[in-house]
Amino acid sequence: MNSGSRHELPAESDWEQWLARYAPALLLFARQQTGCEADAQDLVQEAIVESWRRQSQAAPPPLALVYATIRRRAIDLARRDDRRANREVAAHLDGPECWFDAGADERERNVLIQKAMTNLPEIYRQVVTLKVWGGLTFSEIAEALDIPANTAASRYRNGLIELRALTKEVFT
Amino acid sequence: MSEQEQERFEAELRRTQPAPVPRKFMDRLQAADPSIHAAQRGRRQPATEWTHWWRLARWLAPALAAVAVAFLIGHANSGSKSNPADKPLVAAAGLKANDVQVDHELVSSFDVVATLPGGEPVRFRCRKWKDQLLVTDKSSGVEIEQNSPRIEVMPVRFETY
Repeated sequence: MNSGSRHELPAESDWEQWLARYAPALLLFARQQTGCEADAQDLVQEAIVESWRRQSQAAPPPLALVYATIRRRAIDLARRDDRRANREVAAHLDGPECWFDAGADERERNVLIQKAMTNLPEIYRQVVTLKVWGGLTFSEIAEALDIPANTAASRYRNGLIELRALTKEVFT
Repeated sequence: MSEQEQERFEAELRRTQPAPVPRKFMDRLQAADPSIHAAQRGRRQPATEWTHWWRLARWLAPALAAVAVAFLIGHANSGSKSNPADKPLVAAAGLKANDVQVDHELVSSFDVVATLPGGEPVRFRCRKWKDQLLVTDKSSGVEIEQNSPRIEVMPVRFETY
């Protein structure tokens, strides 16, 4: 790869490292947005590639941009009636995906957290996911969700309170 | 919830890691390396611009040709109509037309396929018409007949032929 190129892109190993680090959280967010594994994977792939293409430099795209793209694409997807119907069928066939790492000793705990997250209102779930597992700042969350940073912060706090109430049996 | 409680709860949540990306999906993502797409896009960019102009020229050229043919025919017809030799003849004769018949007859219809410089075929539908004008003055026993050939050229979308 020519290091002097204006459109220099990261080496393959960098690309793989970036994916290994951020893809699980991106997929978690996409799964919450779509409810269908196939659509979630498509969203993540499209969002990563699209965001990366928008970059004129070698640096990877800001995570907030990738999350924002996933969210926008998920909204577009939900608006398409035929796709929605297909998704519902696919979701029925696929069954619920595990959102969290299903290690042998903590499987039950993770299932309960997933259930609690499912019951959390979407506006809270998005912010909590982006903050806790996505590692974004409130400013980045605001950018990703197209809301003011103060709103992101208050939603996060309210979301944690509600999630704590929903996970009483997990965190005693 | 106090700040300490919130921090403890956040730490507990962070212990729970997002599920790993399925192997097949990770392979797919790795294959979608943007550097590959960027390289392809870089190669395709000039072709896209060229295609844009080519598409424009593809329909602009036949349209301009049709307009030019129509203009020439129209000019020729108007030229024959405005021929100063005809009008004085009719006027001078003092004709009073009893019957005027205007007709047009399709003489032939055929398609022509032309090839643009890029090798793209373009089809034209050509129709040869004969316009007829028959003026009869029974009182003076005069009958004037005028036949004007006319060619109609229309570009036809090649795919829909």
